[in-house]
Amino acid sequence: MSEHRTPPPVSTMLMRGLFEENPIFRLALSLCPAVAVTTAVKNGLMLGVAVLVVQVLSSMSGSLVKHIINPKIRIPVFTLLIAIWVSAMDMILAAYFADVYQQVGLYVKLIVAFAIIISRMELFSMKHSVVPCFWDGLGMGLGFLVGLVLAGAFRELLGSGSIFGIAVLPFKPLLLVVLPAGGFFTIGLIMALFNWVDIKRGHKLPAGGGGAHG
Amino acid sequence: MTCIPGKPVVDQAPPSAREMMIIAIGLTAVCLVAAMILGGLYFFTQPAKEHNLHMREEAMIRGLLGLTPQARIQEVRRYLKREGKDVQVIYLTGKKLAQLELDGKEVAALDVPNDVAIAGAAEIKDEWVKTQVKVSNPEHLKYAGRFFVGIEGTQPVGYVVEGVTLGFKTWIRFFMAIDSAFTIQGVEIIEHEEDPGLGAEIVQRYFKNQFAGRSFEDIEKISVTKDPLPKEWQLALEQLGDMPFRPWLEKHREMLPKNPNIYAITGSTISSTAVTVGIKTALGNFRKRMNIVGNYL
Repeated sequence: MSEHRTPPPVSTMLMRGLFEENPIFRLALSLCPAVAVTTAVKNGLMLGVAVLVVQVLSSMSGSLVKHIINPKIRIPVFTLLIAIWVSAMDMILAAYFADVYQQVGLYVKLIVAFAIIISRMELFSMKHSVVPCFWDGLGMGLGFLVGLVLAGAFRELLGSGSIFGIAVLPFKPLLLVVLPAGGFFTIGLIMALFNWVDIKRGHKLPAGGGGAHG
Repeated sequence: MTCIPGKPVVDQAPPSAREMMIIAIGLTAVCLVAAMILGGLYFFTQPAKEHNLHMREEAMIRGLLGLTPQARIQEVRRYLKREGKDVQVIYLTGKKLAQLELDGKEVAALDVPNDVAIAGAAEIKDEWVKTQVKVSNPEHLKYAGRFFVGIEGTQPVGYVVEGVTLGFKTWIRFFMAIDSAFTIQGVEIIEHEEDPGLGAEIVQRYFKNQFAGRSFEDIEKISVTKDPLPKEWQLALEQLGDMPFRPWLEKHREMLPKNPNIYAITGSTISSTAVTVGIKTALGNFRKRMNIVGNYL
């Protein structure tokens, strides 16, 4: 396992996270936080940035330590690495970004259990060196961020009639979408959109997400 | 270990002593580095974190009471001591640590050292109280709530009481500002987990400001109504916060008797009632307690 595979081009690594293997809409990973925080664009954006940073740092550090740890204990070590970066994020946000922390503090701690992060470490960081891991982590993190922002915008606009907390509609068109059940409807609708785009492009993606992992 | 269908699973050889050593050393190394990173970060960020929390509370209290920048805020913490059937109430004010019977009879009163009185962190105060109050089991002394006194010069000008009430799902924590005649000056929701778009509307001015300007007697008989919120009253409620409490009350005083009850948020009667009941209880308790603790401020 020690020799590196040739990494795919940077554009492929970035696009894979954004579209083909989008963590939320293609792989259907970490749906729970995706539903919980996307009641407003701002919350989605802030948690998205936190996940992006943790994903990039975890992927890179996973790649760094893979030669010095025995593969038998890679899962506990990966969990530990994610926990380090999540705790670090938590402390830094609480100390220097108090307003943001008040909104997303509860969810930042939960990043430690996000399936997408450990799955990228296991599938990508174990086989590649640090620099491709940075791009892969960035792509996956961006995919998650874009997903949260999309869902947040849809739900805030329809459920509260506002965007970024600024009222754009004088009424609430569909209160249901901002409630937890509406979160699932929203994710499902955007998932359908992703599948529709895929069919329009000639149905190149493997069914149910997953597939090629580099 | 490979697992091929139809073939028996091959037992994995137990790791050799050398392999086990490498695993142990690898895990230890990763944990050590982790501990160092986190320890360092904690050391640098913790003071900032506590400072933020303290500043946020202080800014909220100053805003609610409309204090001048020279004014001082004194925290008063309340503890309960239980030894069998014997229950005592303990108040830690800026000057005294008062140990009282439930009916208000003084058991003991100690002077509070200055460094404890002005300490920002709650832990410092709680630790000091634990060293002063004798209990057979540390579990028998419990923190039971707090309020703040706004002091201009040497004169108390108002109080902010922290209260909790059971909301739709879990606790709603709020600050309630009161003047010395027990009239409510404002309410601020600190923490809640009500549903967004429904119960979460309790943080909006058009709901929380409905309590402002009400006297103790008003609050005692206040109830929640499902009538629609009159437009004129809503506009008035939205102004409190942009303008201080006193001028706001002068401007809109005649509207209070016209709107004697709290208008519930549409679709969130439970959250609206929860806050109203919480305010009622907190104000009633505070008045009873002030009769006693007022002597020790």
